[in-house]
Amino acid sequence: MTTLAKRGRTKGSGGLKIGRPSFLWSLPAFVYFAIFALLPLGVVVWLSFTSWDAIGSPHWVGTSNWTAMFKNPELLQSFKITGILTILGIATQTPISMLLGVWASGYQKNRAILSALYFIPLLMSAIAISVVWASLLSPYFGLPHELHWLFGSALFNHGFLFSSSPAAIGVLTFVGMWQWTPFHTLIYQGGARAIPEVLYQAASIDGAGRVRQFWSITVPQLRNTMITSMVLMLAGGLTTFDTILVLTQGGPGTATTSTSYYMYLEGFKSFQFGPASVLSVMLIVVTTIVSLIAVRASGWDKMRSTQEGL
Amino acid sequence: MLSSNKWSRRGAVATAAALAATAVAAIGASASSAKMQVAHAASAGFTVAAYGDSENSVEKYAVASYDATAEGKSDPATLETFPGADYQTKLQTIMSTSSAPDVFFNWGGGSILQFQKAGLLEPLNGYFASNPKLKSSFLPSILSAAKIGANYYGIPMRGTQPVFFFYNKTLLKTDGVSLPKTFPQLLADVKKLKAKGVETPIALGGADQWPTLMWYEYLYDRVAGPSLVTNALAGDKAEWASAASKKALADIKTLVNAGAFGVDKSWDSVYFTKNQTAAMLQTGESAFELMGSWDYSTIQSQLDDGSSSASAQKAAATQENSLIGYTAFPSVPGGKGNGNDIAGNTENYYSVTKAGAAANPGIADFLAVMYSPGFVKKELAIGNLTTTSNTKSLISGPTSAYLTWQYNLVNKAPAFQLSWDQAYPQTDTNTMHTAVANYFDTLNASQFIKAMQSLTPAS
Repeated sequence: MTTLAKRGRTKGSGGLKIGRPSFLWSLPAFVYFAIFALLPLGVVVWLSFTSWDAIGSPHWVGTSNWTAMFKNPELLQSFKITGILTILGIATQTPISMLLGVWASGYQKNRAILSALYFIPLLMSAIAISVVWASLLSPYFGLPHELHWLFGSALFNHGFLFSSSPAAIGVLTFVGMWQWTPFHTLIYQGGARAIPEVLYQAASIDGAGRVRQFWSITVPQLRNTMITSMVLMLAGGLTTFDTILVLTQGGPGTATTSTSYYMYLEGFKSFQFGPASVLSVMLIVVTTIVSLIAVRASGWDKMRSTQEGL
Repeated sequence: MLSSNKWSRRGAVATAAALAATAVAAIGASASSAKMQVAHAASAGFTVAAYGDSENSVEKYAVASYDATAEGKSDPATLETFPGADYQTKLQTIMSTSSAPDVFFNWGGGSILQFQKAGLLEPLNGYFASNPKLKSSFLPSILSAAKIGANYYGIPMRGTQPVFFFYNKTLLKTDGVSLPKTFPQLLADVKKLKAKGVETPIALGGADQWPTLMWYEYLYDRVAGPSLVTNALAGDKAEWASAASKKALADIKTLVNAGAFGVDKSWDSVYFTKNQTAAMLQTGESAFELMGSWDYSTIQSQLDDGSSSASAQKAAATQENSLIGYTAFPSVPGGKGNGNDIAGNTENYYSVTKAGAAANPGIADFLAVMYSPGFVKKELAIGNLTTTSNTKSLISGPTSAYLTWQYNLVNKAPAFQLSWDQAYPQTDTNTMHTAVANYFDTLNASQFIKAMQSLTPAS
């Protein structure tokens, strides 16, 4: 995605060729990219037209994997679930990490200490986080059992969090938020620290309060940060896998089977690498298109400075 | 012990990310098209691949005792264990490469079918001809679970794992509930326990899906008899829509609707693999659990203090014997199945690859270790019920009552239903698991029947 975005920018700012290094300079990076990204991608596209169970050689079956997949109701459902998880992820993580990031950008000692503590989830592996939450949310021995006054309502499905589709999606969103908010807070913290102090000083003189300063200075100044963070959330959300594998295994039923988890099931549970490759090609195409739209719509490809005129 | 028994348990924790997984698939593709089986001719000896877990001590013993023989010195065996989950996946990805093992652990049935179809497996009939004891030393019903067509492909190498009821003795006593001998009695027990405030009379790890499948295996056997699944596996998909099939499904729904597994899909939040059902049974949250014989050691691991000292394990075993009981699955009055039929994991087997057999004459002698008294005693000591004809005379130790009870259960069973997800090829596992889990939740009988009919018969 980044390469595509970069290409767009170069086209837009033609005439700036002076002093640019030749293609040779990017050759190592390009070779690396070709071997580890383009080549496997090509093989996956080829595999999507074959039938292969990891034994022997794949044999060509034409487009039958594709037509079967398009008729499969689980495909559409998996994309729907992926979309819901992604949107919920962005909607919950953006406001929290922005507020926390702006707060953490202050230079006070207590903020530094609390932020350091808060960044701990960033250092933990996604699998470990999911395993810990799975134990914490166990209905008979975890928090729902201990805090029955809190979890005993219909909202939390009476403590059986993984037995209903909304509750399971809620858990995945919550754990994703717990895991990823620190990372995005870090991005916002950096963004907020780059806002020139003079803007706030001028606003104070004009009589703007904290809330007004936040909405009129901080948020507009953080525009590029916000786009960066949201594009990362988008790409991350569309390929969420490990949390689902450990926490819900796609259940109850198929209520949290996202496209990437569905791909895993087809490939490594059912050993049908043809349909699994169809899914991964679709996922690549959809993720690329969605990210491109996000980049274009937000003006990230032009990425104007927020400090013009200062 | 737990995780070795079903490949379905492999999914608990995997570390590969989605896109990395695709990349691996791609690399596998290019590897398999390269020249295969080059390494075998060059190196002396053969490799034995086994599921990596706490039971490997006995496999190590088998390899060491073979390597000490004259044959073993000239053609030594090397044990290679694949640690953790995903054994079947790992096996599948290396089977047609040069790093394929010569002898490998498997579950018989559908787990080796694809390898056999691809012409990778050596039929064991030749070994049987030169050493008749290699065939006669094992129970015939167990050997046939690794038979494809007219040929045998597996030698039993761990233990049989029937599925039956575990129950909390204390809870049944205080609530005045008797052991169910028939299905209506089970329903009555469930109602009685619910009235006494036991919200989840039967612990079920529904989130794992495969424990749910055990209920189908037993009720289909009891209602329709073992022939239904055998015929369905042979390609007669109409069996799934038969009256007997619908009756079994109705019985399952009755039990679910009676709240036997808890209220409103609560079982979907419960795992066997995270030791939750064992804890439910042990703490009296539930009275019954339908589970494989390995549940005994799962519960024991809950009771001991985590140390592996012999005295601590013995104390835990004693505590378990006074708290946890076991009994056969109830019969269904009017059903076609024999009340003595059992379901579960028949055995674990060693199979031999064609390339391995061609290059290594010693494999026949290595397989013969599996029925030697020394090996059988070692298996029994760690709680595995071996399926050799000399097993019964060799049982001893603190778990001997449990093992003898199981041996008799297996021995008098007219039919042993191999777990459906092992009888069918692995390509069907996901569809089957989703169907059995969803029928407990939202599917109706005809939707379930349609899903089962979409499975590929093994033949």
